[in-house]
Amino acid sequence: MKKTNKIWTIISFEYITRVKSKGFIISTILGPLFLITIILVPGIVAALSMNDTSKKIAVVDDTKIIVDRMIEISPKTFEKSNKSIKELKKDVLEGKIDAFVHIPVDVFEKLNVTAYTPGGGGLAYLEKIENNVTQLVREKRLLDNGFDEKVIQLVQSQVNVNSIKVTEKGTQKDYTEFYSIFGYVLGFMIYMLMFAYGGIVMRGVINEKVNRIIEVINSSARPMQIMMGKIFGIGAVGLTQVLVWITVAIAISFASSSILPMILNNSTSNLPAGASGSVSGLPFDIPPIPIGVWVAFLFFFLMGYFIYSALFAAIGSAVDQEEDAAQLQTPVTMPLIIPLLFMPAILGNPDGNLAIILSLIPFFSPIIMTARIVATSVPFWQIATSVILCLLTLYGTIWFASKVYRVGILMYGKKPKLKDLIKWVKLAK
Amino acid sequence: MTILTVESISKSFGSFKAVNNISFDVNEGKIFGLLGPNGAGKTTTIRMITNIISPDEGSVSILGNKMDSNQQNLIGYLPEERGLYKKTKVIEQLEYFGRLKGLNKKEANEKAKYWLHKLGAYGWENKKIQELSKGMAQKVQFASSILHNPPFMIFDEPFSGFDPINTELLINVLLELKNEGKTIILSTHQMYQVEKLCDEILMINQGKKVLSGNLREFKRNYGTNHLVIEFSGDKSFLQNIPKEQILDYSDNRAEIKLKNFEQSQEILKMASAVSQISKFEIVEPSLNEIFIDIVEKMNLHSNGGENEKN
Repeated sequence: MKKTNKIWTIISFEYITRVKSKGFIISTILGPLFLITIILVPGIVAALSMNDTSKKIAVVDDTKIIVDRMIEISPKTFEKSNKSIKELKKDVLEGKIDAFVHIPVDVFEKLNVTAYTPGGGGLAYLEKIENNVTQLVREKRLLDNGFDEKVIQLVQSQVNVNSIKVTEKGTQKDYTEFYSIFGYVLGFMIYMLMFAYGGIVMRGVINEKVNRIIEVINSSARPMQIMMGKIFGIGAVGLTQVLVWITVAIAISFASSSILPMILNNSTSNLPAGASGSVSGLPFDIPPIPIGVWVAFLFFFLMGYFIYSALFAAIGSAVDQEEDAAQLQTPVTMPLIIPLLFMPAILGNPDGNLAIILSLIPFFSPIIMTARIVATSVPFWQIATSVILCLLTLYGTIWFASKVYRVGILMYGKKPKLKDLIKWVKLAK
Repeated sequence: MTILTVESISKSFGSFKAVNNISFDVNEGKIFGLLGPNGAGKTTTIRMITNIISPDEGSVSILGNKMDSNQQNLIGYLPEERGLYKKTKVIEQLEYFGRLKGLNKKEANEKAKYWLHKLGAYGWENKKIQELSKGMAQKVQFASSILHNPPFMIFDEPFSGFDPINTELLINVLLELKNEGKTIILSTHQMYQVEKLCDEILMINQGKKVLSGNLREFKRNYGTNHLVIEFSGDKSFLQNIPKEQILDYSDNRAEIKLKNFEQSQEILKMASAVSQISKFEIVEPSLNEIFIDIVEKMNLHSNGGENEKN
């Protein structure tokens, strides 16, 4: 009874003093604004930029027959040029044109054209050039070999792929791209939250140690109660913040289907028809987000938070000041950062072996499994396995941390190394 | 009645033996002085009593029960190194520390206000610790250690950071607590306060018990062998006394450690032959001198021991 009281007292103190703080209120408000900004701004910029800054590509056509057809197909992209290659290179460097293409006379035999670009700018328009020129060269070669125009049209006809996602409820429009990005966003959020709240736990432990508060508290409660009280209390702060954000996110995704399109359509109504990909003016629509995604997000956030915050608490207990923590932190921050490096590969193929294996490694699961759950339908056994592995790891990190913490909080004066921490674990009975 | 029993506790940190087989009892309603030079093992001993760390060997019991998390509520502890949350309001920390000792929020709030009032710190409730001076923070810390009204209190250097007025205030509070029947362990280097306040003492050095018992008895047993003589005239009589016995001397005053009572009479005769005596008094040595005497002897001894090993 008294034990529970003490841990509750610690949890409520940690929670209330932090939730009341300015830092919490500010980060709770600014967090979603920041997220909305990073999600919406590229979309808006892309939508607006279609108007004026789409790539202009000059074409120097030595065959004299291809360029007119290219302009016919993409009048907004290509323009005919009679300048010399030397002059055009200068124009590219000075930014007068975005790029130019040189089509040599022997293109029909050698099948080679050259594009000159200032570098960067995406592969999309190179592909466009390739497609255009290929089509025209193929046409000419077929004609030269005596094929009928009808046959040529048959050969040239394009097939459009309409991507449809199959679910148990039936078929629906595929939002693969959106879910990939959203998976990345949620995975990244978990990364940031684990880092931020793990850091808060660490600084809280250091603060109590540096200001010698720990000795007072320790004469009232057991080290395990103090450490777990702090982890739970600060975790509750994180949970509060995330719940506020999810509520806002659900409200926004609801609003976006009704309010956002009106706003965006007003501002982008001067765009040429069909310039934007969807009704809302964004490069993609916002599809409904299943409630299971939010549950997984919350669960893996808490799981990751507990696994890592225990380790952060152990580090905090070992050092005398925050500056000394940097060296000890590396083994903890590395597994936090690694999943981010793999994220593009994983979201490119969320059902591949790499994705499956990485998402089952408990130190990576919180970020990668969350991203996968958003991006694809993860088989149940994989989720169950990662949950079990995470729980076992959680037990392990808390066991380790509580041993280090007990010794660390009363240890002053020397800057410990990782092997000292391991020694303490062996020391603590 | 014994409130605290410490039975042969030992604690090592690596190869360093911080506390080596120490036993003692503390009786109810007494002020018990825990003395020893820096690094003697006082803090480690206190940490074992307060259950902050567990002894490697031996045991601590309070009111007959073995020390554990619940017994911690019976203790009020003021650590030597003060610890308060700098950015938290005075009243919030006091409530928190009170609740950690088993009070509910209302009780903690009332007791906090009571003690702030008593210590002359009323009106500070909503200040943050970082706004307070060292002495002010000290009062808050003291209040935090006893607001749950424990029967047993441990104060480690409670006077540090206080001016003479606040020291006097604190002494009165300690005596008041004693009169209420509380038991207090006082650990301090201020021997003057120990002589004034303590009934019993335990002195440790290098992790071991040096002596313990009733302070008055102990001082008596240590010998009423201190001669203070004040005179005017010739001080040549001092040359007849072995040098190691003269603790201090000037042109008209000397402090001499006597071998026995007879020696005092010899000195009196020699002195009165050559000079006029204005004061001749045989006194108990001060605790300060005893302390220095014992520690120096022990350290000399142990250094000698180490040299022998080398």
